Amino acid sequence: MKIAYSHLVHCIEEKPSIEQISDKLFQLGHEHEIDGSIFDMEFTPNRGDCLSINGLLRDLAVFYTVDLNQEVFTEKLNELQLDFENLSESTCPKISFLKLEIENIPETYKGSLDNYLKDLSLNKNNLFTDVSNYLSYETGQPTHCYDASTMSGKIIFHEIDKNEEFETLLDKKITLSGKNSVFSLNNNVINLAGIVGGKSTSCSTNTKTVIVECAFFQPEAIIGKSVKYDIQSEASHKFERGVDPDCHDRVLRRFIKLVSEHANIKDMSIISYKSKDNPITQMPVNVGKINQIIGINISEKEYLSYLSKLGFIVEEGLIEVPSFRSDVKTQNDLAEEVARVIGYDNISTSKITIPNNERTNHKAIENKLRYFLLDNGFYEVINSPFVNLSSEEAIKVDNPLDSNREYLRTNITNSLVDNLLFNERRQKDSIKLFEISDVYSFGNGINKKRKLSVIASGRVGENYKDFSKKINKKYLEILFQEILPNEVFNFKKLSREFLDTKIKNEIISLEVDIDKFPYDILSYKEISSPPDNFNEYRPISDLPSSIKDISYSVKDFSKIKNLTDLLLNYQSDIVKNVFIFDYFKNEKIDEIKIGFRFVFQSKIATLTASEIDMIYNEIITKTQDIKGITIPGMKKNI
Amino acid sequence: MPEYKDISPPELIKDRGSLHPINHMKDSIMSLLVSYGFEIVDGPEIETEEFNFDMLNIKKSHPARQMHDTFYVENKSNLLRTHTSPVQIRGMLEKKPPLAFISGGKVYRKDDDATHLPMFHQVEGIYVDENVSFAQLKDLIYKIIHSLFGDDVELRFRPSYFPFTEPSAEVDILSKEGKWLEILGCGIVNPVVLDNCNIDSNKYSGLAFGLGIERIAMLKHGVIDIREFYKSNLDFLIQFK
Repeated sequence: MKIAYSHLVHCIEEKPSIEQISDKLFQLGHEHEIDGSIFDMEFTPNRGDCLSINGLLRDLAVFYTVDLNQEVFTEKLNELQLDFENLSESTCPKISFLKLEIENIPETYKGSLDNYLKDLSLNKNNLFTDVSNYLSYETGQPTHCYDASTMSGKIIFHEIDKNEEFETLLDKKITLSGKNSVFSLNNNVINLAGIVGGKSTSCSTNTKTVIVECAFFQPEAIIGKSVKYDIQSEASHKFERGVDPDCHDRVLRRFIKLVSEHANIKDMSIISYKSKDNPITQMPVNVGKINQIIGINISEKEYLSYLSKLGFIVEEGLIEVPSFRSDVKTQNDLAEEVARVIGYDNISTSKITIPNNERTNHKAIENKLRYFLLDNGFYEVINSPFVNLSSEEAIKVDNPLDSNREYLRTNITNSLVDNLLFNERRQKDSIKLFEISDVYSFGNGINKKRKLSVIASGRVGENYKDFSKKINKKYLEILFQEILPNEVFNFKKLSREFLDTKIKNEIISLEVDIDKFPYDILSYKEISSPPDNFNEYRPISDLPSSIKDISYSVKDFSKIKNLTDLLLNYQSDIVKNVFIFDYFKNEKIDEIKIGFRFVFQSKIATLTASEIDMIYNEIITKTQDIKGITIPGMKKNI
Repeated sequence: MPEYKDISPPELIKDRGSLHPINHMKDSIMSLLVSYGFEIVDGPEIETEEFNFDMLNIKKSHPARQMHDTFYVENKSNLLRTHTSPVQIRGMLEKKPPLAFISGGKVYRKDDDATHLPMFHQVEGIYVDENVSFAQLKDLIYKIIHSLFGDDVELRFRPSYFPFTEPSAEVDILSKEGKWLEILGCGIVNPVVLDNCNIDSNKYSGLAFGLGIERIAMLKHGVIDIREFYKSNLDFLIQFK
């Protein structure tokens, strides 16, 4: 909600600066941004009472001297003769109508109304609608204006439960469906209560006689309707959060006053309907409880002075909550009021000591498994459970984000297959992944199983011993036998037949319930440990990478270290990775063959062959300076 | 050069994998909280409205319960938990105070954009004892934030609103760029919640807090787009060894 600084400060005696008010608003819990001289406020949903100038001023009154007594029409009003019936008093326990007839339609506005439109850069509409909008801004109470000339017949407020066409005053045609609280005139809906009025009875620039409706609607009847019908409605925003049920007389008298500042009023009358009184919330004064909740030690006098400034009435040991604060019901609510006034950041800490509780590590097996897999080059992944695959036992989401995410997965393996293909498309030739997750299914109720799923394909590893070995069932069986020699795991070779890929490497997978793993695994001594310090992430490139291999023949073994130090630490913006993929020592001829693989990738653009060759040649040139080392098949100077 | 004849082969670098950064962050935070005395409790991701909302004082009319915010399953018979708080409710129904629980795991909300995902992770904690105060909650939050972001980090408490805590607060830290960043929500357990769990709210009070793991991991690792965590891209995962 946008609120002009000038409109606030106009009512504050101390005339604080915009920054001073901003600080106080933050202290009170009212988040906002400042755009020039406008506060763009974002209130928590429990503070509907703050959605107005007066609402904010009531809170700021705890710090400043504020004047909330805007002028109202004070003379006696005639009773309006209106053919109205309220058939849903539980939804609308209080409602008032004001009928006003003016002699002349003003061409320009003045005072508060004029400032409101100008300061908030709003367009002029018609006098009655503009006054109604301004009053909602000033008091927080939305009102609705009907052109009286369109209102002959009986007005009924009721709840309907049928499909009905309705055109809003903003020319939007909607079909009402399900239960809706509406005002009807001669069996036609003229107003979707608390959300938006209808076109057929709306005011225009020619309207001279208006019926102003001022109501309290239960928030439950309003919530969700503006979203359902896709209507941006400030009124519904306020009604959903609760408005002051006791403000009608003052708001309508203020309405008259504002109209009278712009036009001569020929006639006016008012009527109020009330099915029940607003319940008054009272609580005993108990500063001890407040001090205990917050952990402070303030006096009762100080406590009560805060509450008085916030509009609470204290009489005979009881605190009465004002009608506009429907969010305050308990001593904890009062404690929050005090804490806000003191300022959360001004409350001193008090040392906390939590008694020691049980420390059973019920995820011990699962964590051992994770570290075992880490030690063997597996990466842990987390996948979304939403899938488009239906099966008899799959749980269906009633309101999915889209049709591709309509069910909950019944296995993890399919997610890992997607992950594998994703990485293969990014030229990864050694992929080892695992995920541990709860998996849910339906059948005699909802069933939950905690599962480990593993997938592996391609090279066993990058180092020169594993580089030429391919992952197969045997590899994984041997791996798992290391930690669980007595267990047999059902590794599966997955077919690539229906996968969108041309890669032929075998895909081996395993999916098993965590509770099937025996306690034997706890004796496994892991090597890996996660980093103590959290790494700063380097954005990754989605551009294609290129590979270049260089193989050396080394006769002078003393130079091996020079060579590996030089190449493994080679720095370039486009060298993403370098490793030794081949190493062979031929004892017969005293020669070592050593192969290095360079992976090139840029973060900016796809690399051209000449860009790669430039670095590649630079690498070769540097190593050619090392004596006793040759690149088989290559001349000395390239 | 006989001394080099027996040269050993280059170091055989064994490829090691990595924990997922979100799980690693969650585990780190939970270990920290266990060291303070909290006990880990677990619960289902598919919950009932009763445990996810009613017991936590989230009224039927609360917007969070609408179909556009919460995933319902199997003809609205159940839902995907929107927070890990129901786990604590189950814990409180089973044990008597003093009690100190933490729960961590996946939670679900109907969002999907660059800053919100339909699935994300939380760690939440609750401590119920006699005379638990907001001042003690502040002490605990300072300890957690200082452990995560260093003793020098500046933080502030802002009044906020959660149906299950009163008073409620949100906590921001000051970034290196001078921007306040929201880190966690916390508060004094609403007595209604204690009463719902058959805990005498006249005798006992509690504090509660909840942290979004992705948010903290993004800040700690400098990840800008939350979706990076869930692409299972090896180029991404390899950085968290």
